Amino acid sequence: MNSSTVEASKLSKAFGNKQVLQDMSFGVSPGDVIGVLGKNGAGKTTLLELMLGFTPPTGGAVRIFGHESYSLPGSIKARVGFVPQQDELLDQLTVADQLRVIASFYPRWDSALITRLCEEWGVNLYARIKSMSVGERQKLSILLAFGHRPELLILDEPVASLDPIARRQFLEQLLSISADGERSIVFSSHIVSDIERLANRIWILKEGRLDWQGDLDSLKESIVRLHIRGAGAELPAMAIPGVLSLQRDGAFATAVVRDWTPEVQDALEKSASVQIEVEALGLEEIFVELHR
Amino acid sequence: MKAVARLVWTYFTGTLVSRVFTSGGLILMTVDFCILITQPRSGEKLWLAMLGIIIFFVGSSLMPLMFGRLARGHSAGVLPGGRFKLLLSAYITILLVAIPVGVLAPAGTLSGDSSIPELMKDPRIRDYVLQLVGIVFTSAVLFAGWMYLAMWFVTSQRNMAGLFKGLLVITLVIFAPAREIRDLTVSLTWNLQQIAVIWSVFGAGFLLWPRFKAARARRNRERFTGVARALAGKTAGREFDVMLGTSNPLLLLVALAFPLLVATRFVGEFPAVWLYFLTFCCVLTGAYSSLAAERSRALWLRGDWSRSALFASVERSVWRHNSVVLGVLLLAMVGIGEYAHFSARMLLASLPLLALGTLLSTYLGLMITRGLRWLEIGYAIAVMLMLLFMVRLVARENADLGNVFALELGLVALAFLLRFIARRRWTQIDWMMCRSGRLVAARDA
Repeated sequence: MNSSTVEASKLSKAFGNKQVLQDMSFGVSPGDVIGVLGKNGAGKTTLLELMLGFTPPTGGAVRIFGHESYSLPGSIKARVGFVPQQDELLDQLTVADQLRVIASFYPRWDSALITRLCEEWGVNLYARIKSMSVGERQKLSILLAFGHRPELLILDEPVASLDPIARRQFLEQLLSISADGERSIVFSSHIVSDIERLANRIWILKEGRLDWQGDLDSLKESIVRLHIRGAGAELPAMAIPGVLSLQRDGAFATAVVRDWTPEVQDALEKSASVQIEVEALGLEEIFVELHR
Repeated sequence: MKAVARLVWTYFTGTLVSRVFTSGGLILMTVDFCILITQPRSGEKLWLAMLGIIIFFVGSSLMPLMFGRLARGHSAGVLPGGRFKLLLSAYITILLVAIPVGVLAPAGTLSGDSSIPELMKDPRIRDYVLQLVGIVFTSAVLFAGWMYLAMWFVTSQRNMAGLFKGLLVITLVIFAPAREIRDLTVSLTWNLQQIAVIWSVFGAGFLLWPRFKAARARRNRERFTGVARALAGKTAGREFDVMLGTSNPLLLLVALAFPLLVATRFVGEFPAVWLYFLTFCCVLTGAYSSLAAERSRALWLRGDWSRSALFASVERSVWRHNSVVLGVLLLAMVGIGEYAHFSARMLLASLPLLALGTLLSTYLGLMITRGLRWLEIGYAIAVMLMLLFMVRLVARENADLGNVFALELGLVALAFLLRFIARRRWTQIDWMMCRSGRLVAARDA
């Protein structure tokens, strides 16, 4: 039996001549909370929808619970929850009707959980969906994805329209869902602080490729800012491995580098006779530096 | 008053198009008025004024749009006396549009008669003319008010419900005054009573709406405490259809009933026109399925179906919906056939044709899995031309029934071909491509 929740190998997707994703290989295991970061147009939505079988890959494959995502059987779909970027609510219904319609598709719908969340989140069950604000609609979309207690939850920009309080409540709920270590969550967001707070693994998409994947701590250890001080009046010429940006000022220089290790630091300090001080970066700074 | 004047001015001159229409309408009306009062026997030249009045009315079409936007937005509630001023501006606009009718119509009736100045000295004739002006003016006020209401429905909702409400208002406007004219029941007093009641009710409703809304929200909050009670739904057993939008054929039936009702006033006993009209209604019924691909996206993750199994379920759901509407239209055809004296052979050939209209357009609609592209438009035009040809053929008294049925069988074969294409497309459906907007969003995100 395959223990991975999601497995992708050499996954590619093109729309006509436009290559949106290329050669992506990754895995998602139970307990993973993965934050997907990328600029607009990096392919986040395409990646998430490929994982769910909404669209066929043009190369490679992605499997969910061991099944090809493009032809998922019902038993697997029942283990997956999805919050789309653009909600798919039925405007003419009330919230209660919409919840009940969706609940009817799942044999293991947790009405108690949804009832509790409706009360906590202040979702008015009698409200007609077309009269709801964007944020309220987003809350409802999230509730619809939670109701069957999915083992894999995929969320495409879930908090973009939520106010800070609703966002906090939602993140707490996600944390509690992921706390049992058996469920996996993949979510994309532009709010880096949310990803930093919640995710234990990060995927950074850049120009259709998975530019970085790994746990948050490794990312922060790997991409750092260096403050370099030379012995003389001018810094000696030196090749800094993995440099993303560099500013020189006389005997000093500041550089942001990737794939940084203590061994690389030792080697550089010895070969160039410089002193290097390492400063850890926040996720937002890392994201910006990677996209310079 | 400054705010009201500004609003009214904007309704007529807010955009370049409205400025052109307003000024064009005014020029035409002025020119025609001059002709009416200076030229002898110029009453027949009233068409120029009528054209001017219509153009002038169109020039003010920003009114229902702006009125709706402002009334629904926050500004009318925040600005001092906002709702009242908005309402006043709407009433003034209606009066302004009605004034030219009140002036020009009597001028057209009385123009060119040299004895009029003399006759007007008679108080009874003067009263009669004033009565006439009053009736025309108040009728125009009523008519313009209803037309603005129709425009408001259509432009503010921009969906089938809005269109339906708008058309319903227009129907009332067409039917009610026509009956009054036929029965000669119209009078100035009756018009004034109508205006007083309608304007008071509308005005009170409009001004009190925020209070009503707040009270309703309070009541909802109170009801909200019974969460479990709210979860007792009323759509059990047809959730798939609800998600696909095919759960309620009554909506489409009501929407189709309206043009049918109007047609009974105008079409009369012309079998070819009826046949064309009902075939078109049947095509519209089937065309509803073009929304299925996009809507089925939400169903993909919620059931044990492959793409082909999903197509089968969608097809069943669409037919559950369409067959009800088609059944009613077939019954309507039989009823109309009786009313319009269709021959038995024509009725016999036309019933399968109606069914074919729905059949073909249903599969044309189901074929649309990647948004509407030129290819689908081409298919649709070809199918419509074939159906039109068949309508012409069936409507002929001397048409050979054998040929008609053979051609109808050909269309059945075509429907099977379209179904085959639709099914094949659904087995490879890509929900990121179902709507061009979604494709753009996917590429951007």
